[in-house]
Amino acid sequence: MRVVAALWLRNVKLFLRNRVQLVLIVVMPFFYIYLLSAIFKTASVSNPVQFLLAGIVSIVLFQTSLNIATSTIDDIVSGYMKEVLVSPVKRIQIALGQILSSTTVAALQGLMILIVGWFLGMTYTSVLTPIAVLAAMIGVGLVFSSLGLFLAVSVKNAQTYQIVSMAVTTPVTFLCGVYVPLSLLPEGLQLAALLNPMTYAAAFFRALSLEKMSLPADELLADQLAFKLGGFIITPQISMWIVAAFGLLFLLLSTAVFAKADLSAINRSKASKDIFQQ
Amino acid sequence: MSYTKAGNGELSASDQMIVVKDFTKKYGTFTAVDNISFEVDRGSIFAFLGPNGAGKSTTINTLCTICSKTSGTMLIDGKDAERERDAVRSAIGVVFQESTLDLKMTVEENLTMHGCFYGLPRAVIRERIPAMLELVDMTEWKKAPAGSLSGGMKRRVEIARSLLHLPNVLFLDEPTTGLDPQTRAHIWAYLIKLQLEREMTIFLTTHYMEEAEIAHKAAIMDKGKIIAYDSPAVLKQRYTKDKATIASSDGQALEALASKYKLNAARGESGAYLIESANASDLMELISEHRGSISHIEIRRGTLNDVFLELTGKDIRG
Repeated sequence: MRVVAALWLRNVKLFLRNRVQLVLIVVMPFFYIYLLSAIFKTASVSNPVQFLLAGIVSIVLFQTSLNIATSTIDDIVSGYMKEVLVSPVKRIQIALGQILSSTTVAALQGLMILIVGWFLGMTYTSVLTPIAVLAAMIGVGLVFSSLGLFLAVSVKNAQTYQIVSMAVTTPVTFLCGVYVPLSLLPEGLQLAALLNPMTYAAAFFRALSLEKMSLPADELLADQLAFKLGGFIITPQISMWIVAAFGLLFLLLSTAVFAKADLSAINRSKASKDIFQQ
Repeated sequence: MSYTKAGNGELSASDQMIVVKDFTKKYGTFTAVDNISFEVDRGSIFAFLGPNGAGKSTTINTLCTICSKTSGTMLIDGKDAERERDAVRSAIGVVFQESTLDLKMTVEENLTMHGCFYGLPRAVIRERIPAMLELVDMTEWKKAPAGSLSGGMKRRVEIARSLLHLPNVLFLDEPTTGLDPQTRAHIWAYLIKLQLEREMTIFLTTHYMEEAEIAHKAAIMDKGKIIAYDSPAVLKQRYTKDKATIASSDGQALEALASKYKLNAARGESGAYLIESANASDLMELISEHRGSISHIEIRRGTLNDVFLELTGKDIRG
């Protein structure tokens, strides 16, 4: 655990030392809120501010988690990852250290949006809700950080990662019901949205922060917090398990990639660039 | 995670720190290392020589457990580099060809993280960092970000870092490439001191042939194969000739003498003769008989570069 804590602390320190990143992460939520409040005025949902904010938080958790994964690529490119990999540290500890630090940053950003939301008039009836929301943010952050880490260690190259992350982010964020309500999507895309883990993360997160976890199924369906797949209804509770399973899968996958990491391939491409060594 | 003090012989009955047998590594259809075998004695310096792309780094990376092998066995301190990875990882220190410092962190933070990775207690880390930095003369740079250091300083910090957990074997992949001659000399001085003080086994690769002279044993590698393997002195004796460049007032007499001793005398453009001999005494006899006519003389011993030239027919930098 000491290694995980040390890696976590290092990554959080590095994040705090990067001023530009820090400022952008504070500013971005305001931009999202402005943009999305316009879109959702046309959609028929009750309590739009709450609905909107919960959606934004889940999107921001997703994007921040994916962005922070670039720090792992930095470590691979700078060579530092080799120092970590040649040490007797367990590969899952390395993965956890990276994931926990990016979760921390993502959850902090989510928290910042909720604070903004509070000024905009968002309220909870139960005192337990904010605690549950924070726990859910950490949970969702862990899941998407695992995905980010898996992508980062598979790609191992900053330029390629940008493109890959864009290719993943665009469909995932547009087909999850946050930017565009699912009911407005054509049927084919609605089906695609049901294959998107982000849809479940957003639904679960919304149900939780709107305090609607225990609503009857038909009301959940009407509010787009549950989905009907054939005759089966995916409630927010089931959504939560789907998201958790998804996160566990990618934690294991990225650990596996670390375990068999053959970093000699990276040296090779680096060495060929260095004309001064010829 | 347990931590054991580096041994210097008493921990294992074996005299070999590293045993490599029939090691092969293929990248697709390309064979980077082709069936090599060698052994490294406990407490000795072993040099792995060869041009860029000969397969040295591949071998070192596989020994260091971060690269998988195609076939063969590799034992470090009696432990299998593939099946007992964690034991091997704890027992070795590595300085890679390219810097692997955390450039955004300070020198001290780099060393502290390293100690943490190897499971050293905090008190031990605090106590050892000053000693290791002292060893490489980097004490006053303790608080400097690693990214702000020069190439030579970075390399010294990396050496200090790799020694923090007192490894049994230190792997150095091209430790002096890209450094200026003065820094190179410094780094070698540190390494020799270490080897003597701590009886550490040092495994290094280099393409600067002259740097391998300090090694007890050297293996010369070319195109994935070991083409010669012995002590530098034996290699030079076996594969090189002593060379004398002689400017003489009586060229004909010199040529006659050379044929008497069955030596090859080649007249260079400057008029001086280059005489090569595998046997130093013949050369000395010739010089002594001809001494009255010699106006200028330069005698050069064979170098490891000559060994490489003799074995492959090409210069190592080529």
